[in-house]
Amino acid sequence: MKFNFRVSPNYRTPLSTQRVMWEVTAAISVVLAFAVFYYFTELGTDYGIHAVLMILTSLAVAIGTEVLWALFYKKNILKHLNTSFPWVIALIFVGTMSINRPLYVSAVSVFAGVFFGKLVFGGFGYNIFNPAGVGRAVAALSFSGFVTNKFADVVTGATANQVMQGLGWVITKPEAVDAFLNQFGGLSGLAIGFYPASLGETSTILLLLVGIYLSVRKIIDWKVPLTFIGSIFIFTYAIALFKGMGVWYPLFHIVSGGAMYAAVFMITDPVTTPTSSIGRILFAMGVAIFVVIIRIKANLPEGVVYGILFMNMLSPLLDQITDGWVFKEMKKFYIQIGTLFVAGLAVILLVASQISYNEPVVEVEPVVVINLKGEPVVVLAEAVSPTALVVSETAEGDVTTFVVNINGYAFQSDHDDDPQPNTLEIKVNTATQTVESVSYVTFSDSPNIGDKTNSDVFLSQFVGLSIVDEAASVDVVSGATITSQSVVRAVRAAIAAALD
Amino acid sequence: MSFLTGPGREHLNGHKEETLHNEIVRVKPKKEVFVPLNNGSATKVDVYVNEGDKVLVGTLLARRNDHFNVPIYSPVSGVVGAKKNMMHSVLKPQEHLIIEDDGKYEKVESFKPLDYTVASREELVNFMMEAGIVGCGGAGFPSYLKYKNPVDINTLIINAVECEPYITSDYRFTKESLEDLLVGVRALLKMSTAPKAIIAIKKSKKEMCEQLEAVLKGDPSISVFKTPDVYPMGWERTLVYEFAKKRYNRLPSEVGIIVNNVTTAIAFARALQYGEGIVEKVVTFSGDGLKSPTNVRVPFGTKVSEIVAQIGGYASEDVLVIAGGPMMGKTIPTDEFVITNYSNAITILKNVKVEEMACMRCGRCNDTCPAGLLPVRINNAEKAKDLDLIVKLSADQCIECGLCTYVCPSKIDVTEGVRRAKRALALRKG
Ligand code: SF4
Ligand code: SF4
Repeated sequence: MKFNFRVSPNYRTPLSTQRVMWEVTAAISVVLAFAVFYYFTELGTDYGIHAVLMILTSLAVAIGTEVLWALFYKKNILKHLNTSFPWVIALIFVGTMSINRPLYVSAVSVFAGVFFGKLVFGGFGYNIFNPAGVGRAVAALSFSGFVTNKFADVVTGATANQVMQGLGWVITKPEAVDAFLNQFGGLSGLAIGFYPASLGETSTILLLLVGIYLSVRKIIDWKVPLTFIGSIFIFTYAIALFKGMGVWYPLFHIVSGGAMYAAVFMITDPVTTPTSSIGRILFAMGVAIFVVIIRIKANLPEGVVYGILFMNMLSPLLDQITDGWVFKEMKKFYIQIGTLFVAGLAVILLVASQISYNEPVVEVEPVVVINLKGEPVVVLAEAVSPTALVVSETAEGDVTTFVVNINGYAFQSDHDDDPQPNTLEIKVNTATQTVESVSYVTFSDSPNIGDKTNSDVFLSQFVGLSIVDEAASVDVVSGATITSQSVVRAVRAAIAAALD
Repeated sequence: MSFLTGPGREHLNGHKEETLHNEIVRVKPKKEVFVPLNNGSATKVDVYVNEGDKVLVGTLLARRNDHFNVPIYSPVSGVVGAKKNMMHSVLKPQEHLIIEDDGKYEKVESFKPLDYTVASREELVNFMMEAGIVGCGGAGFPSYLKYKNPVDINTLIINAVECEPYITSDYRFTKESLEDLLVGVRALLKMSTAPKAIIAIKKSKKEMCEQLEAVLKGDPSISVFKTPDVYPMGWERTLVYEFAKKRYNRLPSEVGIIVNNVTTAIAFARALQYGEGIVEKVVTFSGDGLKSPTNVRVPFGTKVSEIVAQIGGYASEDVLVIAGGPMMGKTIPTDEFVITNYSNAITILKNVKVEEMACMRCGRCNDTCPAGLLPVRINNAEKAKDLDLIVKLSADQCIECGLCTYVCPSKIDVTEGVRRAKRALALRKG
């Protein structure tokens, strides 16, 4: 019989740090799975595979770094990993990266996050800065221009925050508000998150659900995300009232640009935030103040990350100022929160007084075309939009024949002194409501340019298209050169005339 | 509790089912009892009997003679033996008086019973002192002190919360002594000058709540107060806060409340009616280190090893024997120690190794501390030997409830760190 001695208490919660980290892992995995699903289904296999590769690269680098560290310090590798949780950093980090980043950016950044963000401080529990945040900042500062061309098109100009940034972070005209929000499917579209941006940040609703789950399981302290999101709401609502905007404005701040992601996964990191309840509340409010200021003033899309890293630095200080016997210090706590709130609000309104609405310039996309010498030339999309003109319309039984003039390539090239339009004959059957045939009456474009369109293969694509279903389905017709686009427009004009 | 602080409490898996529904089993000492000649931490005790004296159950053996007055009555009938130094549940060897048990349990009235309905308040307080009624907090704090000078008392709280895991002795004892309980509560109510008494009990103990409500029907001055099933609901400050939403500095009487343990009330009733002091205890023997967890009724002074042997023995070769519940009880590295007159439980657990890892600064310990302290900050200050910071963090307010260690997911002995800080403070002050 062995009677042992151990200091009391001898009763422990079943919750372990390992389980906390595994539940966070599960939660972040759900969010990333949503992103992978989105890229596969909406943007295609290439994107999906790239998203998966980004995740795997981050994981491999993070775990690899720690394994080497353990080998170097002659630690038991499995035991080290089991008390160090590098994969959590990798997953949280990769959630902040957008799909157009090449794999090596993730690799280098996640290494920096794990190594400089955590290991050099002494490992899990001792680091000052959020390691995933460090990784994200490295990606932003050192690799800002590094994007893969393959995926560049999807993301450029697509994130709501960047568009908002172009507008000066304030929209005062009510029509412009709708126009702005509608590009993203409205606030609800932004909240649902079916759009390309950072991998984990898009679906506010999913993040909300995951956050609630983690709070109920007592993995994260619900007060932290609540204070953070609540503060952003109040501060930006103040701006909205100040500038005469509606409640959409604070909501926009919450559903866009990683606020929710940070709320659930980054500012709840226990290691780098204060240990007292009141300290964490001050921390969350502090990050919110930074996020709002950085967004509206400094125009940095990584506002959230910088806000977190800055407040990480203040965590020890927050711990210090909230030290004491809680029951006796309540008054001090109210004063601290009140002071931070008022100061934050004052600074934010001051900054907001300097922002103003930038009328949006109508977007013109640059398009690359090949000139007569076979050299690529950049022209603006507007200039290359040919206008179609229906010149005659003759009905014969069910079939109506339209003759349409359209300016082809010749009009865009300054090599032709006297450009002539192309003329097309388009027959539409009004009984079956389909396109019967498309053919050139005159083809005036320069040889070798647009020839392809004057072929049965090309023109027969239009035959049989429904004119009522969706006039725009003509767009499916392949071909992106100026001349082929001009044929599409001509057909569309004929359909429009037929439906008239 | 306020948004700005943590909840200051936690639901624990009570493990009470193991013993909750079983009858109390009577266990007797094999041949002798060892009466501790101390009372809580006080060791100044006058002994009134000599070796070879014949004593009966209830014979006055000794009396604590510092500024408190607590008599000790013989738990068995038999012959007084020698004194012996042996391990005590305070985890220090203490002097014990051996009494040879003759197995007859012949009783003698320790003092004259008193009819509380006719006695004056002062008479009752004096009676309580004479009877040696002590609180069951483990410190052996004499109960009569609370009733000496009641001023503006509005509520008497009878504490039947019993929040420590595994322990059901109060529950079983109360269930079998409802009549006595009512007598006790009415007497205490008279002494407290309060207009009403509440019996605080966890709402999860439905059966008992209903039983109590049934017997209290028709008595508007006593009612049942149901508390949430959280730890440490049975601690005076947490209980008073739950009931009155008020905090106090030193004693609950500052906010017009007297708190009394339910078993103390019953013991007082037995003293009033039958003239007997505390000579036997109902003690929960539970935990996964025992083959069959049981509530036992034993003369105090009976050895733990003898009781364990009689209820089926250990379930493991490698155990922790805890005097009390697993949260606040001390582990005693032997089972050769006795049940005292304020013991309520012996918890025996299999010895499971705990792997500690780095503190992840999650703040769970801070959020759950019922005393409003910041245990992880106190631990850090203690490691840095920063006494000023320890003072600022009010480490002396810690009640050693154990919650900070319990909730720590990194399995750190947070409570022990706070204890070290308290000791450092005490050393400096001393
Ligand atoms: S043991 Fe002390 S410090 Fe720890 S939770 Fe209990 S009262 Fe607070
Ligand atoms: S509960 Fe444990 S891990 Fe969390 S802050 Fe306290 S000591 Fe550190």
